[in-house]
Amino acid sequence: MAEYRGPDAVPIRLEINGEIRVLHAEPRRTLLDALRFDLGLTGAKKVCDRGDCGACTVLLDGHAVYACLALAVACEGKKIETIEGGSPEVRSLEAAFLADDAYQCGYCTPGQIMALAGLLRREPRPNEEHVRAAVAGNLCRCGAYPNIVKAGVAAGGNGARRR
Amino acid sequence: MAGRTRVVKTRSEFEGRVSEELALVQGRDLRAWPADAELREVGRERPRVDGVQRVSGRARYNSDLVLPGMLHARVLRSPHPHARVTRIETKRAQSLPGVRAIVHRFNEADHFAEEVRFVGDHVAAVAAESEAVADDALRLIDVEYDVLPFVVDLEDAMKDRSRAKRDDAQSRGDVRKGFKDADAVVDVTYRTSTALHNCLEPHGCVAAWDGDRLTLYESTQALFDVRSGVAEKLKLDVGDVRVLCDFMGGGFGSKLGDGHYTVLAAVLARRTGRPVRLFLDRHEENLAAGNRSATVQRIRAGGTKDGRITALEHLAWSGTGTEDGWVAGATGPSSTVYDVPNVRTEQYLVLTDTGPFCAFRAPGYVEGTFALESAIDELAERLGVDPLAMRKKCYARRDPQGDRPFSLKRLDQCYARGAELIGWSKRKVGGTPARTSHLRRGLGMATQFWGSAGGPPAYATVHLNVDGTAVVRSGTQDIGSGTRTALAQIAAEELGLELGKIRVASGDTDAPYTPASGGSWTTPSTGPAVRLAAADARRQLFEVAAGLMEVRPTEIRFSNGHLVAGRGGRKITVRDVLERFKNYTVIGTGARHPNPSDLRLGSFGAQFADVEVDTRTGFVRVVKIVAVHQVGRVVNPRNARSQVEGGVLQGLGFALLEGRVLDLPSGHVLNANLEDYHLPTVKDAPDIVVEFIPDPDARSNNLGGIGLGEPPIIPTAGAIANAIANACGARVRTLPITPPRLLEALRR
Amino acid sequence: MKPFAYAKVATADEAAGLLKQRNTRVIAGGTDLLGLMKERLVEPDRLVDLSGISQLRGISATRETFRVGALTTLAELAAHQATPPIVKEALADAATPQLRNMATVGGNLVQRNRCWYFRSAEHRCWLKGGPRCLAIDGDSRYHAIFGEGECRQVTPSDLVPALIALDATVVMRTDEGEDSLPLAQLYVAPTARHRREHNVGDDDLIVAVRIGGDALHRRGAYLKFMERATWQFAIASVAVSAGVVDGRAQDVRIVAGGVANVPWRVKAAEDLLTGERIDDARALAVAERFVRDARPLRDNAYKVTVLRELVRRGVLRLRD
Repeated sequence: MAEYRGPDAVPIRLEINGEIRVLHAEPRRTLLDALRFDLGLTGAKKVCDRGDCGACTVLLDGHAVYACLALAVACEGKKIETIEGGSPEVRSLEAAFLADDAYQCGYCTPGQIMALAGLLRREPRPNEEHVRAAVAGNLCRCGAYPNIVKAGVAAGGNGARRR
Repeated sequence: MAGRTRVVKTRSEFEGRVSEELALVQGRDLRAWPADAELREVGRERPRVDGVQRVSGRARYNSDLVLPGMLHARVLRSPHPHARVTRIETKRAQSLPGVRAIVHRFNEADHFAEEVRFVGDHVAAVAAESEAVADDALRLIDVEYDVLPFVVDLEDAMKDRSRAKRDDAQSRGDVRKGFKDADAVVDVTYRTSTALHNCLEPHGCVAAWDGDRLTLYESTQALFDVRSGVAEKLKLDVGDVRVLCDFMGGGFGSKLGDGHYTVLAAVLARRTGRPVRLFLDRHEENLAAGNRSATVQRIRAGGTKDGRITALEHLAWSGTGTEDGWVAGATGPSSTVYDVPNVRTEQYLVLTDTGPFCAFRAPGYVEGTFALESAIDELAERLGVDPLAMRKKCYARRDPQGDRPFSLKRLDQCYARGAELIGWSKRKVGGTPARTSHLRRGLGMATQFWGSAGGPPAYATVHLNVDGTAVVRSGTQDIGSGTRTALAQIAAEELGLELGKIRVASGDTDAPYTPASGGSWTTPSTGPAVRLAAADARRQLFEVAAGLMEVRPTEIRFSNGHLVAGRGGRKITVRDVLERFKNYTVIGTGARHPNPSDLRLGSFGAQFADVEVDTRTGFVRVVKIVAVHQVGRVVNPRNARSQVEGGVLQGLGFALLEGRVLDLPSGHVLNANLEDYHLPTVKDAPDIVVEFIPDPDARSNNLGGIGLGEPPIIPTAGAIANAIANACGARVRTLPITPPRLLEALRR
Repeated sequence: MKPFAYAKVATADEAAGLLKQRNTRVIAGGTDLLGLMKERLVEPDRLVDLSGISQLRGISATRETFRVGALTTLAELAAHQATPPIVKEALADAATPQLRNMATVGGNLVQRNRCWYFRSAEHRCWLKGGPRCLAIDGDSRYHAIFGEGECRQVTPSDLVPALIALDATVVMRTDEGEDSLPLAQLYVAPTARHRREHNVGDDDLIVAVRIGGDALHRRGAYLKFMERATWQFAIASVAVSAGVVDGRAQDVRIVAGGVANVPWRVKAAEDLLTGERIDDARALAVAERFVRDARPLRDNAYKVTVLRELVRRGVLRLRD
């Protein structure tokens, strides 16, 4: 039978970027706050905290999700990947973002890259439409969208061939 | 040092405001690089020098900062648009475990007003061990308010004479005569909505005291203004306040000084003896962090059948919320853009009980250009004249308001190139059919002028290390526009070093003073100072090298990263020169010289829009925007194109999507979030074609180029509105052009 | 968020046991509930996490029936080969990829509305127990154009109109076992005594959604209108489905979202199309009939125009 944990702080064991990390937090702690304040992983940004912007995007079991709408305690047993993990997809996206100037202030950038990392897992050779669909849930106030689309394609197989 | 220090008077324009002040400069300025100069770094596309950090999530923004022992603060905000705070009871909040300090008007009278003046005005602040606990504590603070009458709507406030005051008026010629000479006159009223910046990194700071010295890690566009603002409010010497900002996540004008959050964080940190972090959440961002004020603008424009504009009258009312200091006038474009003989403008500031206005990327000019450029199209249509031809007919060869020559004006080339790229010759009155019968396509365009060109004071030093690397030291902040990269390119150019050898140490008020990153000021203010500092360092290096090479310093030049003496002479590297002096630092200094007083500086541009209108639903799809701009020499064309694309997309948002929605009965903002305040998404982005006129603006400053931050947002809304009117014959005079507004216009 | 205790369960029985305690709520994808909790509109003492109940996740499909478990994510539903095209079309524009990766089918059915008065903690609107609907004198641009009740909120889901257009049934867990009812019956206009958009109780568990028989083989389309190109709850949406035999429509369903308290159908409009050839004139007549009884508020008459056009286009799509 399941038992309640909390409402006071409880130990939470998370697998992040292939490492097991244990933190102590209340069940109300979101995954985003846990990453940023408990684990020192500040690549994911807190912009809206309501799932309206995408700046906190991370991968959960390989799928892009908003870390602000996940409870840290509910992520036990799942594989969490952040931009700091530097997976092969993330690496190629970083290089493409740099080459195509697909960022300005850079605050939304980790979220954009993680959304695209999720895409590349399933679609290693994305076209522009795939990329647009994958970052449709990531706002960029500086307006780097045209270059984000270019970089997303370039980071995948279709881009590599063209280069 | 690079010559004797002297005081100069300088006249400059910042966000539409012209001011005169004194600045200290040294020696003589350098001449701008000639148009045909072969430059290795300036004018080349380079990845941003801080790009790796930004794309890898390793860039440390101040909102990411966690200091040892740091507390978290949250602010209690007024639910009333206007009220007197009569009592605050904090006992319940104080007893919550983890709460460390609570401040409000009864214990920090200097930092809270008795009257709250808008929904979201600050009433109290709590510092606690976590944000969640601070948030819990806010709910346990009991406040008693005397609720006072309020007006939140601009047009309601305009009816109340005590709320409106005239801020500015300009005139030339005789408008009455001009209207009499006209074959047709349009008299139309335009409206724009309150736009919210929504920079993704929220406003805020981490404040930490070390004895009497305060360090602020603030997300800001204006380190030095935060320093002076906080020093004044906390009665400190500016030398006792240090402000740091390494990376920042967007400001767009809303972070040009300290905010209530800065002062409250500092006060809470002083009370608790611990660092305090206070960053706003998204809801607060949309209530209490500034906005582009709503406007009502009445324009009368008269013209003749041959396409000349004979008279122009522009009256504007800007709802500035509770900001009664200054307003970014919307009438500026009407008096400065076109050669119209008879012009009269009046600008009114209207107070409402809503969050205060602040600068937002070309404040005033964005709103005013939409109205002016719409009115010109309406007049052209009435007269049966091509709208672009009409603009060319009243092309201003000299500054029409100040009667001075321009330092550079290539607007005619912007028109010609833009028209070619969009296919203007295929434009038809009434638009063209599209894929299906309910879709219409149309073309529109608008002109851009922006008189902001940077200026002194701005200082930099350049340090050459013995290993042949260099450090550019300058206070300035990189707000995402690529400042660090531009400064590194300028220094590399002047020093003859590769870009990779240059490090830019900026974002710190302990470094030389530079102005705020607003008003498109950053590169044209700080860049020339960096160039001078680099030149000064190079001069010293050459002096040292001359001794070693046994030649005169003037005989040395740079070639492919080497110092070369004479024709075909000896080659040595910077490292060869400096390595023999252990721990020697060459220090070059530079100070921005004043702008020429006899010339009108400014940037010009034209944008052309191609839109598709669904006449049955009112949905507009912007297909393409062509943006051709003239800013003189461009330091990094790739970053510059990004800057233009970003400006266009913000302009598109302003034209079609963005507007604060107020609940008039309660005065609350209904869409203070990113769900209902609609920023453009990737799928709203059209094809954007960007070009620059290559001519340097040689007389503007020693770079031969001026700022590009604001110009690209200025004409976008006007171009889109004109394209929509062309496509379907429906003229929408209120922004944003939403489906309900367009459907209503289509019905008429 | 208010502090709460958290438990993750492995079976529906376990969940049902825990849900007997008061002020306990279930969480699955969390995309709606956490938003409500952050605004403190919902303040449970205990959360029961259903996401570990593997029996409630997954899709099974035959030629006769399509069944999707309540814990299946919207992304999984959208990607499955057997998912009816109209459902895929509805999900393509639903929220964002991240939200579709998190949100579950069950959660989507019972998500709360997006009215800005309801969602703001500072407003005590009628649905939250206040004296009257604040949209009526406030800003009603996104509110209802149909219906009689005091509350003017509108249904937010893209999935629900598509499912109702396919006569979907919802399977609920009861103490006795499983019970199923037509999905449309979950949705009721709020009344003074039941200020809620649907009649699923806090301790009810949704098990699955089922689509059966002929409905699976009907033609259909889903059209959604937004002000920006993506990522907005529907200003108006329409799910249309019909069997088309010899060019004539039968079993016509036209279900609108975003326009009323509940997914909105107009029987008379469906009847106008039944047995008829689908052409421009017929589509327009059906669309006109659909919106004939609309009663917009001060700010939302445009929604009538938009909805009429969506219905017209939706009906014409049945020809393809």
